[in-house]
Amino acid sequence: MVRDDHSLLQENIPAYALGALEGEDARALEAHLQTCESCRTELADYRAVSDSLLAAIPPRQPSPALRKRMQARLPSAQKSARPRFAWSFGQLATGGALLLLLGLNLLSFVQMRELQRQQSDVLRQLQNNQAALAMLSYPETQALAIEAEHVSGTVLLDTERNSAALVMWNLYELTPEQSYQIWLIEPDGHRVSAGLFRAESDLPYTTQPIFSSQDISNFVGIGVTIEPAGGSDQPTGPRVFKVDF
Amino acid sequence: MVRQVAQGDESAFLTLYDCYVGRVHALTTRILGDSMLAEEATQDTFLKLWSRANTYLAERGSLLLWLLTIARRTALDRLRLEKRRPMLSDSTDPAELWQTIPDDKSLPEEARWRSMHFAVQSLSPEHRQVIELAYYQGLSQSEIAEVLGWPLGTVKTRLRAAMEHLREKWNQE
Repeated sequence: MVRDDHSLLQENIPAYALGALEGEDARALEAHLQTCESCRTELADYRAVSDSLLAAIPPRQPSPALRKRMQARLPSAQKSARPRFAWSFGQLATGGALLLLLGLNLLSFVQMRELQRQQSDVLRQLQNNQAALAMLSYPETQALAIEAEHVSGTVLLDTERNSAALVMWNLYELTPEQSYQIWLIEPDGHRVSAGLFRAESDLPYTTQPIFSSQDISNFVGIGVTIEPAGGSDQPTGPRVFKVDF
Repeated sequence: MVRQVAQGDESAFLTLYDCYVGRVHALTTRILGDSMLAEEATQDTFLKLWSRANTYLAERGSLLLWLLTIARRTALDRLRLEKRRPMLSDSTDPAELWQTIPDDKSLPEEARWRSMHFAVQSLSPEHRQVIELAYYQGLSQSEIAEVLGWPLGTVKTRLRAAMEHLREKWNQE
Protein backbone atom coordinates (compact mmCIF):
# COMPACT_ATOMS: atom_id res chain seq x y z
CA MET A 1 0.00 0.00 0.00
CA VAL A 2 1.58 3.25 -1.10
CA ARG A 3 1.27 6.35 1.04
CA ASP A 4 -0.92 8.18 -1.49
CA ASP A 5 -3.49 5.37 -1.51
CA HIS A 6 -3.64 5.47 2.27
CA SER A 7 -4.23 9.22 2.25
CA LEU A 8 -6.98 8.93 -0.36
CA LEU A 9 -8.72 6.19 1.55
CA GLN A 10 -8.28 8.01 4.84
CA GLU A 11 -10.10 11.02 3.40
CA ASN A 12 -13.17 8.88 3.00
CA ILE A 13 -13.37 7.90 6.66
CA PRO A 14 -15.66 10.82 7.74
CA ALA A 15 -18.16 10.05 4.97
CA TYR A 16 -17.97 6.34 5.83
CA ALA A 17 -18.70 7.10 9.51
CA LEU A 18 -21.83 8.98 8.40
CA GLY A 19 -22.91 6.14 6.08
CA ALA A 20 -22.57 8.42 3.04
CA LEU A 21 -19.74 6.55 1.29
CA GLU A 22 -21.00 4.25 -1.41
CA GLY A 23 -20.10 1.43 -3.74
CA GLU A 24 -16.51 0.83 -4.69
CA ASP A 25 -15.18 3.57 -2.38
CA ALA A 26 -16.82 1.94 0.65
CA ARG A 27 -15.56 -1.54 -0.25
CA ALA A 28 -12.02 -0.25 -0.80
CA LEU A 29 -11.99 1.48 2.58
CA GLU A 30 -13.38 -1.60 4.34
CA ALA A 31 -10.57 -3.68 2.84
CA HIS A 32 -8.02 -1.10 3.91
CA LEU A 33 -9.38 -0.99 7.46
CA GLN A 34 -8.56 -4.67 7.82
CA THR A 35 -4.84 -3.87 7.73
CA CYS A 36 -4.55 -0.24 8.84
CA GLU A 37 -4.57 0.32 12.59
CA SER A 38 -4.41 4.13 12.38
CA CYS A 39 -7.42 4.26 10.03
CA ARG A 40 -9.40 2.00 12.40
CA THR A 41 -8.58 4.39 15.26
CA GLU A 42 -9.62 7.36 13.18
CA LEU A 43 -12.84 5.64 12.18
CA ALA A 44 -13.65 4.95 15.84
CA ASP A 45 -13.11 8.64 16.50
CA TYR A 46 -15.49 9.69 13.72
CA ARG A 47 -17.96 7.03 14.76
CA ALA A 48 -18.11 8.67 18.17
CA VAL A 49 -18.99 11.91 16.39
CA SER A 50 -21.70 10.35 14.25
CA ASP A 51 -23.10 8.50 17.29
CA SER A 52 -23.23 11.77 19.20
CA LEU A 53 -25.24 13.30 16.33
CA LEU A 54 -28.00 10.82 17.16
CA ALA A 55 -28.43 12.40 20.57
CA ALA A 56 -27.40 15.96 19.69
CA ILE A 57 -31.01 16.96 19.17
CA PRO A 58 -33.10 18.57 21.91
CA PRO A 59 -35.53 16.00 23.37
CA ARG A 60 -39.05 16.23 22.02
CA GLN A 61 -42.01 14.55 23.68
CA PRO A 62 -44.61 12.85 21.47
CA SER A 63 -48.32 13.10 22.20
CA PRO A 64 -49.49 11.25 25.36
CA ALA A 65 -51.67 9.11 23.08
CA LEU A 66 -48.56 7.38 21.77
CA ARG A 67 -47.87 5.83 25.18
CA LYS A 68 -51.43 4.50 25.27
CA ARG A 69 -51.09 3.07 21.77
CA MET A 70 -47.82 1.49 22.81
CA GLN A 71 -49.39 -0.06 25.90
CA ALA A 72 -52.23 -1.39 23.75
CA ARG A 73 -49.66 -3.36 21.75
CA LEU A 74 -48.25 -5.12 24.82
CA PRO A 75 -49.34 -8.69 25.60
CA SER A 76 -51.33 -7.85 28.75
CA ALA A 77 -53.42 -5.31 26.82
CA GLN A 78 -53.94 -7.79 23.99
CA LYS A 79 -55.39 -10.26 26.49
CA SER A 80 -57.63 -7.73 28.20
CA ALA A 81 -58.72 -6.30 24.85
CA ARG A 82 -61.03 -9.26 24.29
CA PRO A 83 -64.55 -7.95 24.00
CA ARG A 84 -66.40 -7.71 27.25
CA PHE A 85 -70.10 -6.98 27.67
CA ALA A 86 -70.71 -4.00 29.85
CA TRP A 87 -74.40 -3.62 30.58
CA SER A 88 -75.73 -0.23 31.54
CA PHE A 89 -78.81 0.07 33.76
CA GLY A 90 -80.85 1.13 30.73
CA GLN A 91 -79.70 -1.87 28.72
CA LEU A 92 -80.46 -4.20 31.64
CA ALA A 93 -83.94 -2.69 32.03
CA THR A 94 -84.62 -2.98 28.29
CA GLY A 95 -83.33 -6.54 28.27
CA GLY A 96 -85.49 -7.42 31.27
CA ALA A 97 -88.60 -5.90 29.67
CA LEU A 98 -87.92 -7.78 26.46
CA LEU A 99 -87.53 -11.04 28.37
CA LEU A 100 -90.79 -10.39 30.24
CA LEU A 101 -92.61 -9.66 26.98
CA LEU A 102 -91.12 -12.76 25.44
CA GLY A 103 -92.26 -14.82 28.43
CA LEU A 104 -95.79 -13.42 28.28
CA ASN A 105 -95.97 -14.08 24.55
CA LEU A 106 -94.77 -17.62 25.09
CA LEU A 107 -97.36 -18.17 27.84
CA SER A 108 -100.14 -16.79 25.60
CA PHE A 109 -98.96 -19.03 22.78
CA VAL A 110 -99.00 -22.12 25.01
CA GLN A 111 -102.48 -21.24 26.35
CA MET A 112 -103.76 -20.66 22.82
CA ARG A 113 -102.35 -24.01 21.67
CA GLU A 114 -104.00 -25.74 24.67
CA LEU A 115 -107.34 -24.12 23.85
CA GLN A 116 -106.98 -25.15 20.20
CA ARG A 117 -106.19 -28.71 21.29
CA GLN A 118 -109.24 -28.79 23.60
CA GLN A 119 -111.41 -27.36 20.86
CA SER A 120 -110.11 -29.98 18.46
CA ASP A 121 -110.81 -32.73 21.02
CA VAL A 122 -114.39 -31.50 21.59
CA LEU A 123 -114.97 -31.35 17.84
CA ARG A 124 -113.58 -34.84 17.40
CA GLN A 125 -115.76 -36.14 20.29
CA LEU A 126 -118.79 -34.47 18.76
CA GLN A 127 -118.13 -35.96 15.34
CA ASN A 128 -117.54 -39.41 16.84
CA ASN A 129 -120.74 -39.22 18.88
CA GLN A 130 -122.72 -38.00 15.88
CA ALA A 131 -121.35 -40.90 13.83
CA ALA A 132 -122.33 -43.35 16.56
CA LEU A 133 -125.81 -41.79 16.89
CA ALA A 134 -126.28 -41.92 13.14
CA MET A 135 -125.36 -45.59 13.10
CA LEU A 136 -127.70 -46.29 16.02
CA SER A 137 -130.56 -44.70 14.13
CA TYR A 138 -129.95 -46.92 11.10
CA PRO A 139 -132.17 -50.03 11.19
CA GLU A 140 -129.53 -52.43 9.81
CA THR A 141 -126.93 -51.52 12.39
CA GLN A 142 -126.03 -54.33 14.73
CA ALA A 143 -125.28 -53.55 18.37
CA LEU A 144 -122.87 -56.04 19.95
CA ALA A 145 -122.14 -55.87 23.67
CA ILE A 146 -118.64 -55.34 24.98
CA GLU A 147 -118.20 -57.36 28.12
CA ALA A 148 -114.76 -57.25 29.59
CA GLU A 149 -113.38 -57.18 33.13
CA HIS A 150 -113.16 -53.39 33.41
CA VAL A 151 -114.64 -52.14 30.17
CA SER A 152 -118.22 -52.32 28.92
CA GLY A 153 -119.98 -50.78 25.98
CA THR A 154 -121.23 -51.48 22.46
CA VAL A 155 -119.84 -52.28 19.03
CA LEU A 156 -122.04 -50.71 16.36
CA LEU A 157 -121.60 -52.60 13.11
CA ASP A 158 -123.01 -51.59 9.74
CA THR A 159 -121.87 -54.09 7.13
CA GLU A 160 -123.85 -52.38 4.35
CA ARG A 161 -121.92 -49.15 4.75
CA ASN A 162 -118.76 -50.98 5.68
CA SER A 163 -118.39 -49.04 8.91
CA ALA A 164 -118.43 -49.59 12.63
CA ALA A 165 -118.13 -47.65 15.87
CA LEU A 166 -117.02 -48.48 19.37
CA VAL A 167 -118.71 -46.92 22.39
CA MET A 168 -116.61 -47.84 25.44
CA TRP A 169 -117.17 -47.02 29.10
CA ASN A 170 -114.57 -46.97 31.86
CA LEU A 171 -111.49 -46.99 29.62
CA TYR A 172 -108.61 -45.70 31.68
CA GLU A 173 -106.10 -43.20 30.37
CA LEU A 174 -102.80 -44.57 29.13
CA THR A 175 -99.30 -43.13 29.51
CA PRO A 176 -97.97 -41.00 26.63
CA GLU A 177 -95.85 -43.98 25.54
CA GLN A 178 -98.95 -46.15 25.07
CA SER A 179 -101.98 -46.23 22.78
CA TYR A 180 -105.15 -48.28 22.31
CA GLN A 181 -105.14 -50.14 18.98
CA ILE A 182 -108.23 -51.61 17.25
CA TRP A 183 -107.91 -54.93 15.40
CA LEU A 184 -110.35 -56.51 12.93
CA ILE A 185 -110.09 -60.30 13.11
CA GLU A 186 -110.03 -62.37 9.94
CA PRO A 187 -111.54 -65.93 9.91
CA ASP A 188 -108.03 -67.45 10.12
CA GLY A 189 -107.32 -65.40 13.26
CA HIS A 190 -105.07 -62.90 11.52
CA ARG A 191 -105.47 -59.34 12.86
CA VAL A 192 -105.70 -56.21 10.70
CA SER A 193 -105.13 -52.83 12.34
CA ALA A 194 -108.17 -50.52 12.24
CA GLY A 195 -106.70 -47.49 13.98
CA LEU A 196 -105.35 -46.05 17.18
CA PHE A 197 -107.16 -44.01 19.80
CA ARG A 198 -106.84 -42.61 23.28
CA ALA A 199 -109.41 -42.69 26.10
CA GLU A 200 -111.33 -39.47 26.59
CA SER A 201 -110.00 -37.74 29.66
CA ASP A 202 -113.07 -35.56 30.36
CA LEU A 203 -115.86 -38.03 29.52
CA PRO A 204 -116.80 -41.34 31.15
CA TYR A 205 -117.09 -42.98 27.75
CA THR A 206 -115.08 -42.98 24.53
CA THR A 207 -116.58 -43.17 21.07
CA GLN A 208 -114.36 -44.32 18.23
CA PRO A 209 -115.55 -44.79 14.61
CA ILE A 210 -113.94 -47.50 12.48
CA PHE A 211 -113.51 -47.21 8.74
CA SER A 212 -112.15 -50.34 7.14
CA SER A 213 -110.42 -50.36 3.78
CA GLN A 214 -111.65 -53.91 3.32
CA ASP A 215 -115.16 -55.29 3.35
CA ILE A 216 -115.99 -55.38 7.04
CA SER A 217 -118.24 -58.42 6.55
CA ASN A 218 -115.08 -60.45 5.75
CA PHE A 219 -114.04 -60.14 9.39
CA VAL A 220 -115.30 -62.32 12.23
CA GLY A 221 -114.62 -60.10 15.18
CA ILE A 222 -113.04 -56.99 16.63
CA GLY A 223 -110.66 -56.43 19.52
CA VAL A 224 -108.66 -53.73 21.28
CA THR A 225 -105.17 -54.10 22.79
CA ILE A 226 -102.73 -51.75 24.48
CA GLU A 227 -99.71 -51.12 22.25
CA PRO A 228 -96.71 -48.80 22.23
CA ALA A 229 -97.53 -45.28 20.99
CA GLY A 230 -97.62 -45.34 17.20
CA GLY A 231 -99.10 -48.83 17.10
CA SER A 232 -97.85 -52.32 16.17
CA ASP A 233 -98.12 -54.53 13.08
CA GLN A 234 -99.72 -57.30 15.16
CA PRO A 235 -101.06 -57.30 18.70
CA THR A 236 -98.23 -57.40 21.25
CA GLY A 237 -99.77 -55.89 24.38
CA PRO A 238 -102.55 -56.88 26.79
CA ARG A 239 -106.04 -57.34 25.40
CA VAL A 240 -108.72 -54.86 26.59
CA PHE A 241 -111.66 -56.70 25.05
CA LYS A 242 -112.67 -58.87 22.09
CA VAL A 243 -116.12 -59.10 20.46
CA ASP A 244 -117.13 -61.68 17.87
CA PHE A 245 -119.43 -60.57 15.03
CA MET B 1 -33.65 -3.17 33.11
CA VAL B 2 -33.16 -4.35 29.50
CA ARG B 3 -32.86 -7.90 30.79
CA GLN B 4 -36.23 -7.47 32.52
CA VAL B 5 -37.73 -6.24 29.26
CA ALA B 6 -36.25 -9.27 27.47
CA GLN B 7 -38.07 -11.43 30.04
CA GLY B 8 -41.38 -9.75 29.21
CA ASP B 9 -41.54 -7.22 32.04
CA GLU B 10 -43.95 -4.61 30.70
CA SER B 11 -43.41 -2.29 33.64
CA ALA B 12 -39.66 -2.18 32.92
CA PHE B 13 -40.42 -1.54 29.26
CA LEU B 14 -42.64 1.43 30.08
CA THR B 15 -39.99 2.80 32.40
CA LEU B 16 -37.48 2.72 29.54
CA TYR B 17 -40.08 4.27 27.25
CA ASP B 18 -40.65 7.16 29.64
CA CYS B 19 -36.91 7.63 30.03
CA TYR B 20 -35.92 7.62 26.34
CA VAL B 21 -38.99 8.49 24.28
CA GLY B 22 -38.10 12.21 24.18
CA ARG B 23 -34.77 11.49 22.52
CA VAL B 24 -36.10 8.84 20.16
CA HIS B 25 -38.96 11.06 19.07
CA ALA B 26 -36.65 14.04 18.58
CA LEU B 27 -34.55 11.97 16.19
CA THR B 28 -37.47 10.52 14.23
CA THR B 29 -38.99 14.00 13.96
CA ARG B 30 -35.69 15.44 12.70
CA ILE B 31 -35.51 12.72 10.04
CA LEU B 32 -39.16 12.56 8.97
CA GLY B 33 -40.30 16.11 9.61
CA ASP B 34 -43.95 15.04 9.87
CA SER B 35 -45.05 14.53 13.49
CA MET B 36 -47.51 11.75 12.67
CA LEU B 37 -44.94 9.77 10.72
CA ALA B 38 -42.42 10.46 13.44
CA GLU B 39 -44.77 9.04 16.10
CA GLU B 40 -45.23 5.91 14.03
CA ALA B 41 -41.46 5.51 13.69
CA THR B 42 -41.05 6.14 17.42
CA GLN B 43 -43.63 3.48 18.17
CA ASP B 44 -41.95 1.02 15.81
CA THR B 45 -38.62 1.71 17.48
CA PHE B 46 -39.93 0.88 20.93
CA LEU B 47 -41.75 -2.19 19.67
CA LYS B 48 -38.40 -3.36 18.29
CA LEU B 49 -36.92 -2.75 21.73
CA TRP B 50 -39.70 -4.90 23.19
CA SER B 51 -39.17 -7.75 20.75
CA ARG B 52 -35.36 -7.59 20.43
CA ALA B 53 -34.25 -6.62 23.94
CA ASN B 54 -32.41 -9.92 24.25
CA THR B 55 -30.08 -8.95 21.36
CA TYR B 56 -28.75 -5.86 23.12
CA LEU B 57 -25.10 -6.18 24.20
CA ALA B 58 -24.03 -3.66 26.83
CA GLU B 59 -20.34 -3.96 25.88
CA ARG B 60 -21.07 -2.49 22.46
CA GLY B 61 -22.47 0.76 23.77
CA SER B 62 -25.17 2.40 25.82
CA LEU B 63 -28.79 1.36 25.57
CA LEU B 64 -29.75 4.85 24.43
CA LEU B 65 -27.23 4.70 21.57
CA TRP B 66 -28.58 1.28 20.55
CA LEU B 67 -32.12 2.61 20.66
CA LEU B 68 -31.26 5.74 18.66
CA THR B 69 -29.47 3.63 16.04
CA ILE B 70 -32.65 1.57 15.64
CA ALA B 71 -34.72 4.76 15.52
CA ARG B 72 -32.53 6.25 12.76
CA ARG B 73 -32.76 3.13 10.61
CA THR B 74 -36.50 2.85 11.20
CA ALA B 75 -37.10 6.49 10.30
CA LEU B 76 -34.84 6.36 7.22
CA ASP B 77 -36.64 3.21 6.02
CA ARG B 78 -39.92 5.04 6.44
CA LEU B 79 -38.52 8.07 4.60
CA ARG B 80 -37.55 5.88 1.63
CA LEU B 81 -40.93 4.19 1.73
CA GLU B 82 -42.66 7.54 1.58
CA LYS B 83 -40.26 8.60 -1.25
CA ARG B 84 -40.18 12.02 0.26
CA ARG B 85 -37.97 14.72 -1.17
CA PRO B 86 -35.14 15.52 1.22
CA MET B 87 -35.59 18.60 3.34
CA LEU B 88 -33.20 21.23 2.00
CA SER B 89 -33.62 23.77 4.75
CA ASP B 90 -30.30 24.71 6.29
CA SER B 91 -31.90 25.72 9.54
CA THR B 92 -33.35 23.48 12.16
CA ASP B 93 -36.93 23.52 13.37
CA PRO B 94 -37.51 26.62 15.52
CA ALA B 95 -39.30 24.38 18.03
CA GLU B 96 -36.13 22.36 18.33
CA LEU B 97 -34.57 24.25 21.17
CA TRP B 98 -32.51 22.75 23.93
CA GLN B 99 -34.51 24.17 26.78
CA THR B 100 -34.08 21.43 29.29
CA ILE B 101 -31.83 22.54 32.05
CA PRO B 102 -29.55 19.70 33.18
CA ASP B 103 -30.34 18.40 36.63
CA ASP B 104 -29.10 15.60 38.86
CA LYS B 105 -31.03 13.07 36.82
CA SER B 106 -29.42 14.09 33.54
CA LEU B 107 -27.26 11.48 31.87
CA PRO B 108 -23.49 12.04 32.15
CA GLU B 109 -23.28 12.42 28.36
CA GLU B 110 -25.92 15.13 28.39
CA ALA B 111 -23.43 18.00 28.42
CA ARG B 112 -21.46 16.54 25.50
CA TRP B 113 -24.59 16.05 23.41
CA ARG B 114 -25.62 19.58 24.17
CA SER B 115 -22.20 20.81 23.06
CA MET B 116 -22.43 18.73 19.91
CA HIS B 117 -25.83 20.24 19.18
CA PHE B 118 -24.36 23.72 19.39
CA ALA B 119 -21.34 22.60 17.39
CA VAL B 120 -23.65 21.54 14.56
CA GLN B 121 -25.49 24.84 14.86
CA SER B 122 -22.21 26.72 14.60
CA LEU B 123 -21.28 25.08 11.28
CA SER B 124 -21.56 27.16 8.14
CA PRO B 125 -24.89 26.64 6.30
CA GLU B 126 -23.15 24.63 3.55
CA HIS B 127 -21.39 22.36 6.03
CA ARG B 128 -24.50 21.92 8.16
CA GLN B 129 -26.50 21.03 5.07
CA VAL B 130 -24.24 18.18 3.99
CA ILE B 131 -24.24 16.75 7.52
CA GLU B 132 -28.00 17.06 7.61
CA LEU B 133 -28.52 15.34 4.26
CA ALA B 134 -25.96 12.63 4.87
CA TYR B 135 -26.87 11.65 8.38
CA TYR B 136 -30.46 12.71 8.97
CA GLN B 137 -31.72 12.11 5.42
CA GLY B 138 -29.58 9.05 4.65
CA LEU B 139 -28.20 10.34 1.35
CA SER B 140 -24.89 9.27 -0.17
CA GLN B 141 -22.34 11.85 -1.34
CA SER B 142 -23.45 11.38 -4.97
CA GLU B 143 -27.09 11.88 -4.01
CA ILE B 144 -26.24 15.01 -2.05
CA ALA B 145 -24.36 16.34 -5.08
CA GLU B 146 -27.38 15.67 -7.25
CA VAL B 147 -29.88 17.20 -4.82
CA LEU B 148 -27.84 20.33 -4.17
CA GLY B 149 -26.45 20.63 -7.69
CA TRP B 150 -22.91 20.72 -6.41
CA PRO B 151 -19.90 18.93 -7.92
CA LEU B 152 -19.23 15.62 -6.13
CA GLY B 153 -15.77 16.85 -5.14
CA THR B 154 -17.30 19.87 -3.42
CA VAL B 155 -19.66 17.65 -1.46
CA LYS B 156 -16.77 15.43 -0.37
CA THR B 157 -14.64 18.39 0.68
CA ARG B 158 -17.42 20.09 2.62
CA LEU B 159 -18.52 16.92 4.29
CA ARG B 160 -14.98 16.10 5.36
CA ALA B 161 -14.40 19.61 6.65
CA ALA B 162 -17.68 19.58 8.59
CA MET B 163 -16.85 16.27 10.22
CA GLU B 164 -13.35 17.38 11.11
CA HIS B 165 -14.79 20.43 12.80
CA LEU B 166 -17.28 18.32 14.79
CA ARG B 167 -14.60 15.81 15.72
CA GLU B 168 -12.44 18.61 17.04
CA LYS B 169 -15.32 19.97 19.13
CA TRP B 170 -16.23 16.51 20.39
CA ASN B 171 -12.70 15.79 21.53
CA GLN B 172 -12.45 19.16 23.28
CA GLU B 173 -15.23 18.21 25.68
